[in-house]
Amino acid sequence: MTNPTNVKLRLGNSELWGGLIGLALGGFVIWSGLKLKLGTINDPGSGYVLFYTGILMCVFAGAIIVSAITEGGPTLASRWENVRWSKPLVLIACLVAFAFALELLGFLLSSIPLMLLLLRLIDPVRWTLAIPIAVLVPSGMWWVLKRLLLIQLPSGLFGIG
Amino acid sequence: MDTLVNVAHGFGVALLPVNLLYCFIGVFIGTLVGVLPGIGPISAMSLLLPVTLSGTPESGIIMMAGIYYGSMYGGSTTSILVNIPGEAASVVTCIDGHQMAKQGRAGPALGIAAFGSFVAGTFALVALMLVAPKLASLAIAFGPAEYFSLMVLGLVVLTFLTQGSMPKALLMACIGVVLGLIGLDSITAQPRLTFGRMELIDGIGLVPVVMGLFGVAEVLLNTELAIKRDIINTGITNLLPSTEDWKASAGPVGRGTILGFFLGILPGGGAVISSFASYALEKRLSKTPERFGHGAIEGVAGPESANNAAAGGAFIPLMTLGIPPNVVMALLLGAFVIHGLQPGPLLITQNPGLFWGIVASMYIGNVMLLILNLPMIGMWVQLLKLPYNILFPLIILFTMLGVYCSGNNVFDVYVMITFGIIGYFMRKLGYEPAPLVLAFVLGPMMENNLRKSLILSQGDLWTFVQRPISGVCLVLAVVLLIAPLLPSLRKKRELVALDEGA
Repeated sequence: MTNPTNVKLRLGNSELWGGLIGLALGGFVIWSGLKLKLGTINDPGSGYVLFYTGILMCVFAGAIIVSAITEGGPTLASRWENVRWSKPLVLIACLVAFAFALELLGFLLSSIPLMLLLLRLIDPVRWTLAIPIAVLVPSGMWWVLKRLLLIQLPSGLFGIG
Repeated sequence: MDTLVNVAHGFGVALLPVNLLYCFIGVFIGTLVGVLPGIGPISAMSLLLPVTLSGTPESGIIMMAGIYYGSMYGGSTTSILVNIPGEAASVVTCIDGHQMAKQGRAGPALGIAAFGSFVAGTFALVALMLVAPKLASLAIAFGPAEYFSLMVLGLVVLTFLTQGSMPKALLMACIGVVLGLIGLDSITAQPRLTFGRMELIDGIGLVPVVMGLFGVAEVLLNTELAIKRDIINTGITNLLPSTEDWKASAGPVGRGTILGFFLGILPGGGAVISSFASYALEKRLSKTPERFGHGAIEGVAGPESANNAAAGGAFIPLMTLGIPPNVVMALLLGAFVIHGLQPGPLLITQNPGLFWGIVASMYIGNVMLLILNLPMIGMWVQLLKLPYNILFPLIILFTMLGVYCSGNNVFDVYVMITFGIIGYFMRKLGYEPAPLVLAFVLGPMMENNLRKSLILSQGDLWTFVQRPISGVCLVLAVVLLIAPLLPSLRKKRELVALDEGA
C-alpha cells in the first residue's frame, strides 16, 4: 500500500520543491558571481567566492532533488496537516500590515492595533483584558524609549508618537 | 601568579555596580527565557543585542553571556516541572526530571540540577581561565589558511549535528555565506547583491536576520499548535538533595562537567549535544540502566552539568580565536563587533580588563543563578502559568521594537519579517536555520581569509593542506562530509543530530 503523504515524482512533493528553490538560488548566485568578475586564483575577484558557493548550492540542491525523486518526500499538504495553519497566516498578514503602517502612521498608531489584533486573533484573549494590554504595553514602551532613553521612534504622517 | 593577578583585575571590573547590575539582568533574563518554552537564549540575545549599545562593552557582553548560561539553568525548571524543555539543551532532562517530579521528588531534581550546574559552571570558568590565555598565545601563529580551515570545520561540524538531511544543512550554510557577503566587498569595495538599494550597502544586519529566523519564526510555529502544559502543582519541598542523592550524583556531575566542557570547545558542538552525550554515558555506566527514564537522579545530574560546562567551554574558541563555535557565540561575536572589538588571540593582551572582567562576572553570575534558581523557584513556577496568547503578542512587539531600535531603520523591520516568514517555511520543510546563521557570521571572515591565503600563496591551493593545523581541520571536515554516506555512521549521526535552534 502506498503512503499518500509520501510521494516521489509528483508536483506535491515538498522535498522536490525545496531542492528546486535551492537550485534556482544557486543558479542566481553563480550568475551574480560571474557578473561581479571572478578574478584569478592568484588574485580572486569580488565574485570568486560567490561563484563557487553558487556551484556548491547547486550540488547540494541536486542531492536534495535526487533524494526527493528516489526516496520520495512528504507532500506539501501533509506538512500543514493537523495544525492550525490559518493562525501563522493571520500573524504574517498582521506583521506585513504593521511594517507598512509603521512609517506611515507612526509607532503608537500602528502598534496598538497590531497588539489588539494579535491578542484577539491567535488565541482570543477576552476584550476586557485585550484592550488594556494593547493600549498600555505599547504606550509604556513608547514612554520608556522616547522619553526615558531618548530613542527616536517613527511618528508618522500625523506626528503622533 | 599572573593568573591570580588577572583574576583580581577581572573582579575589579565585574564588581563595579553597573556591571553587577548588567550581570544580574543577564542571568535573570537568561533564567526567564530558559523557563519559558518557545523562547530560547538565541531569541533573547538577539532581542537584547541593541541594548548592549547603551552601555560599555564590558557591561553589554557580561549581560549577553549571563543570558546564555542563565538559560541553561532555567531550562531545567520547565523540563522537570512541565515536561516541556525550556530550551534545547534541557530536552534530555525531561526524561528523568519530570518522572522524579511525578514521584514527588521535584525538589531534589531541581536542587541537583542547580548544584550540578553550579559545579560545572565553576569548573568551566577555571578551565577557561587556564586554557584561554595559552590557546591565545598559540593562535597568534595562525595564518589566514588556518582560520579559513577552522571555520570550514566549524560549519561542517554544525551541519553534521543538525537535525535532518545533511545536504539541506549544507545548502543552508551556503545560503548563509551568500547572505553574509551582501554589501561592499571588503577588499575591492565593489557592491555585491545590493540590487541598487542603499540600505544593503552595509550588508544585512545580524539582528533582523536572527530575530526573524528564531524569534518571529518560533512564534509563527508555536501559534500553529495548541500548547498543553501539565504543571506539577504539588508544593516543592526539600530542594537540598539527600546524602544518597549526592552519592548517586557525584560521578555524573563530574563526568558531565568534563565531557560537556570539551564538547563545548569543539566547533559546532555545544550545550545540546553535550547533554545528550552525558545522558547516554551515564546510562551506559550505570549498574541499573533500567532506572533511567523512570526518575533516576543521575539522568538529571549528568546532562544538567554537561550543558552548563559546555556553555562555559564555548567561550574558548570565541575569545581565543575569534571563531564562534555555535549560533549563540555568533551573537556574542555580534555584540563584540557592535562595540568595535574583535575577539581573538590579541583580545586577552590588548583588552585584559574586558576578558578577565567577563570571566569574573561569570563566577558572580553563577552564584546569582544558584540563588535565583533555589530559594526563588516559586517565582519561576508562577511564571510558567503565564498564558501564551498574551506572551506571544508581547514577544512580537518586543522583537519589532528591538529590531527598529538596533538601527533606527524601518528597512530592518521589513528584513526581520521577511526572514521570519522564510524561517517559518524553512522549518516546515525541514531546513534548520542554525547553519545559515553561523555561516552568515562566518561567511565574510571565511571569504577574507580564503582570498588572503590565495594571494599570499600566489594561488597555490596546497597551502591549505600543507600547513598542519589547516590540513587537519580540512581532513576532519572531509571525514564528516563523507560520514553520512556510510550507513553505520549515518545511524550514529541521526542519534546525535539535534535541533540547535530551539
